[in-house]
Amino acid sequence: MTAAAKGNGNLGRLGVPLIDGIEKVTGRARYTADLEHADALVGRIFRSPVSHGEIVRLDVSKARALEGVAAVVTGDDCPHTYGVLPVAMNEYPLARERVRYRGEPVAALAAIDAETAERALALIEFEVRELPAYYVSADAREPGAVLLHENKPGNLEREVHHEFGDLGVGFAAADVVREQRIRCAEVNHAQIEPHACLAEYDSLTGRLTVQSVSQVGYYLHLMLARCLEMDTSRIRVIKPFIGGGFGARVEVLNFEIVTALLARTAGGKVLMRLTREENFLTHRARPQTDMKLKLGMRRDGKITACECEVVQRGGAYAGYGIVTILYAGALLQGIYDIPALKYDGYRVYANLPPCGAMRGHGSVNTRHAFECLLDRMARELGLDPFAVRRANLLHAPMRTLNGLTVNSYGLDECLEKVERASGWRERIGRLPRGKGLGMACSHYVSGAAKPIHWTGEPHAVVNVRLDFDGGVTALTGAADIGQGSSTMVAIAVAETLGVGLDRIRVVAGDSAVTPKDNGAYSSRITFMVGNAAIDAAKKLKAVLVEAAARKLEANPADIECVGETFQVHPGGQSSLPFAEVVKSALAERGPITISGTFTCPPESQGGKHRGGAVGSTMGFSYAALVVEVSVDEATGVITVDKVWAALDCGHAINPLAVQGQIEGSTWMGMGQALSEETHYLDGLPAHASLLEYHVPTIVESPPIEVHIVESHDPNGPFGAKEASEGALAGFPPALVNAVANAIGIDLDELPATPDRVMEALVERRRQGRLAATRGAAS
Amino acid sequence: MTTLMRDLHLAHPSNVEAAIAARRTHPGSRFIAGGTEVVVNMRHGLSRPEMLIDLSGVDELAGIQINEHGLRIGAGVTLAALARNSEIATSYRAVAQAAEAIAAPGHRAMGTVGGNLCLDTRCVYYNQSEWWRQANGFCLKLRGEICHVAPQGRHCHAAYTGDLAPALLALDAEVEIAGPQGRRRISLGDLYVEDGRAHLALTEDELVVAVHLPFDPPPSAYAKIRVRGAIDYPLAGVAVALAAADGLVKSLRIGLTGTNSRPFVLAGLNAIIGKAIDEKALQDIDRLVQKQVQPMRTTIASAHYRRLAAAGLARRLAAALFAESSP
Repeated sequence: MTAAAKGNGNLGRLGVPLIDGIEKVTGRARYTADLEHADALVGRIFRSPVSHGEIVRLDVSKARALEGVAAVVTGDDCPHTYGVLPVAMNEYPLARERVRYRGEPVAALAAIDAETAERALALIEFEVRELPAYYVSADAREPGAVLLHENKPGNLEREVHHEFGDLGVGFAAADVVREQRIRCAEVNHAQIEPHACLAEYDSLTGRLTVQSVSQVGYYLHLMLARCLEMDTSRIRVIKPFIGGGFGARVEVLNFEIVTALLARTAGGKVLMRLTREENFLTHRARPQTDMKLKLGMRRDGKITACECEVVQRGGAYAGYGIVTILYAGALLQGIYDIPALKYDGYRVYANLPPCGAMRGHGSVNTRHAFECLLDRMARELGLDPFAVRRANLLHAPMRTLNGLTVNSYGLDECLEKVERASGWRERIGRLPRGKGLGMACSHYVSGAAKPIHWTGEPHAVVNVRLDFDGGVTALTGAADIGQGSSTMVAIAVAETLGVGLDRIRVVAGDSAVTPKDNGAYSSRITFMVGNAAIDAAKKLKAVLVEAAARKLEANPADIECVGETFQVHPGGQSSLPFAEVVKSALAERGPITISGTFTCPPESQGGKHRGGAVGSTMGFSYAALVVEVSVDEATGVITVDKVWAALDCGHAINPLAVQGQIEGSTWMGMGQALSEETHYLDGLPAHASLLEYHVPTIVESPPIEVHIVESHDPNGPFGAKEASEGALAGFPPALVNAVANAIGIDLDELPATPDRVMEALVERRRQGRLAATRGAAS
Repeated sequence: MTTLMRDLHLAHPSNVEAAIAARRTHPGSRFIAGGTEVVVNMRHGLSRPEMLIDLSGVDELAGIQINEHGLRIGAGVTLAALARNSEIATSYRAVAQAAEAIAAPGHRAMGTVGGNLCLDTRCVYYNQSEWWRQANGFCLKLRGEICHVAPQGRHCHAAYTGDLAPALLALDAEVEIAGPQGRRRISLGDLYVEDGRAHLALTEDELVVAVHLPFDPPPSAYAKIRVRGAIDYPLAGVAVALAAADGLVKSLRIGLTGTNSRPFVLAGLNAIIGKAIDEKALQDIDRLVQKQVQPMRTTIASAHYRRLAAAGLARRLAAALFAESSP
């Protein structure tokens, strides 16, 4: 017990295994590709072999004529764009007129089996007049470069120029001003479950049912209606078990719409399963980023000003791009006190698969640059890395210069925990050559306070149902993608009602049954859906208390429900079991369904400047990480020996799940830090397999010591904030800082692969020789 | 979905002769043992056999025998069995280390010695899907006209990436080959040719049956460089076998993989025999490795890095083995 409690960040509360865990570990869970598809047609996509060009000819007649082919669709079948941001929908499910990246869907077909589908694909004739293609941001931005989208001059999807406070005064107050360029490679979610979609169209009733891997069933629903020109009431979207998201499915994806188009054309059921290569082509992950960061710092470590330029290579379509480039600037704030800040962001189009949102959306790469430069300046000033962070802490509640509200702040406690646990003070500077310690901090939003699709509706709704069986069913549209959100809803309802967790059943993600939810992104579910679940449970509780009070002839204010027993407070003799209270409540009004809601208040929705809503949230999580590494100077190989991670999640509703999320996000940060990167050869992904895309294996996985910090957010459900993303961004800079500590080399590029480390070592030796030669000559 | 596997026939011969006969009768066939490479390549469309000849039932390919003549390792021995054999772990350590370093536990449970020795060469332009290679105009190694690694030349530079071969080369192994004309036994080094398209000196109907290693080998070790600590093929792999007495090197052989289209034994080490492994000797080894390896842009990691890392590993292993035998 003690050992387990210790594992949960010394909380002394264990938490519970995920309520759908048994299905998963026994193999009973059905993922999209496992669904009943004996009678389904096999869907396949024909993809552009060229990076950029005008479509001259697309002839699918031979494919259509092949026996066993039930449907062929092309761009002609869908004249509507789709996309996640209403202001930036510039993508067709199947290309029209132009293709902009290798792998872009051009046509699709459904056939009786995979072999027929493959033969049919080979019969599609496609002719393109090629245009110049750009794979590097700078090339795409060259004057005279061919525009990927005619209405986007300079191949820029969005430029952001924000300035807060007085930069001149800030830099003038600094004792040291340093500027640094940092590059981060593009990475991918590499979620283990490949994309899949099962769509069924009933020609007789005109109804469409789509089951997909989506994190955003509601957006999928809207886009299906838009692209298929269907009334939303004729569509049903169901979320089966999902094997990981991390942002990969946080916008509607082309293959989902394509599968529905095929199902309607065929008048039947179509199963589309993408290969791992197609997953990488679908992409929507963290963009390659070039950053130029300038910081002013006083001798005591206090930051006086920050100037940051960010260029993101966003790929061929808009996707989430505007949000990503805004996040990258906005989330420079909200963690430290920065009195003056200038941000210039450029989201660039290039002839590559479109980027999108990925765990730590927008914040990870700029946080990396910031935490690296902070460490280098601390070193120059002879300051301890912890001391520099402590010199810049915030004091909640406060509002940042760019209008973000900080209502709770546990970063100082996170720092204390990892400093002590890692033995930092005793060990730093005393490790043998080749061994190093590094640290960094990070934070993340608990849901974007302003929804992407403005409807005026509450930001989250949960329905609870109570019927004759005495079971409480929580209905939510929130997508549990493995992060444990359904378990969180169950706990929120059970704890509020005062009943056992096993009395709660959660039904999630079926548009025919569950209330709409905006989806699993920006770590919004615990905060928003959790609050809505508590609200619903409170209302249900009021009904039950009312019924109990009537039966017990007591004042409702004096009734308590503990352990499924209603009694008159305090310590009253008369009590009623849960079942009887339910019977009594139902007798009054029949089966009960009650809605709970949550809405982020306007003051939490960010600054009034253009783009000011991005980054705004009801509560930030905070994290501090220490990473210990060994660096082999003969081969450039970095080994991560140990990680200490502390995260302020406000309150751990389910400590076991929080621990898992902190470990998972730390580990994902390690992947980006050490080995993960995409690599295109003239626009073809050389990395499009789990062999060449280097997600760490268990061999590289260090022990991760997790510490949970609870700052009790005033607005969070039970005081909770997000726990799934905040720790990620701390890992890459902590690692790079640890490498600097180990071998005295500052790496300016992620990931820190052996060849990059070696290159830096060779360069240092060369500089050393040069210096020696110069020394000898003088 | 995973890429389609076509319908195909399976043959299950029970002896070497029957396997070879099946191979001769069906020109569109190929041998399969663990399948950890064959199946992946089939799914990528790199290989399209009509028939697979399953070697798992051929008794002669099984087993590891040790006697006064040395060690015989059947080509069908799994990498996992090789890695956990205690005699090999003690006396032929480089072989055990190499086996242990291959891919992941699942692959090692299936993959075999013969399969690893006969691994196809690899290249970032070749080990891709049919769609990918077609979009790229295919390549010299398969169905194409040019080598994307070195477009001016007429040579395929795909790299050999087996881990066992350098260890066995360092220990002076021989391979036993069966064919329609009977058996032949050659030095392992002669099994390989510096040609990414045709790197095996085997006719189509020949089969590697076993590997033979001499009795009482010198101490040896193997190490490889890769981005991850598991699964990955070697960017460079080095095996060193070094015997020393009285502070002087008695024998030294170094085998390399991952950098060329074939694994090979480093030449020019004679100058070090009879001397100590000091900084000068290590520099010589470093220089010889850097000169003889020929890494090309066949991997995402840079060719230059593979050269430096190979040299770094060779130095480290030579120094460590020398220190072990000259305490």
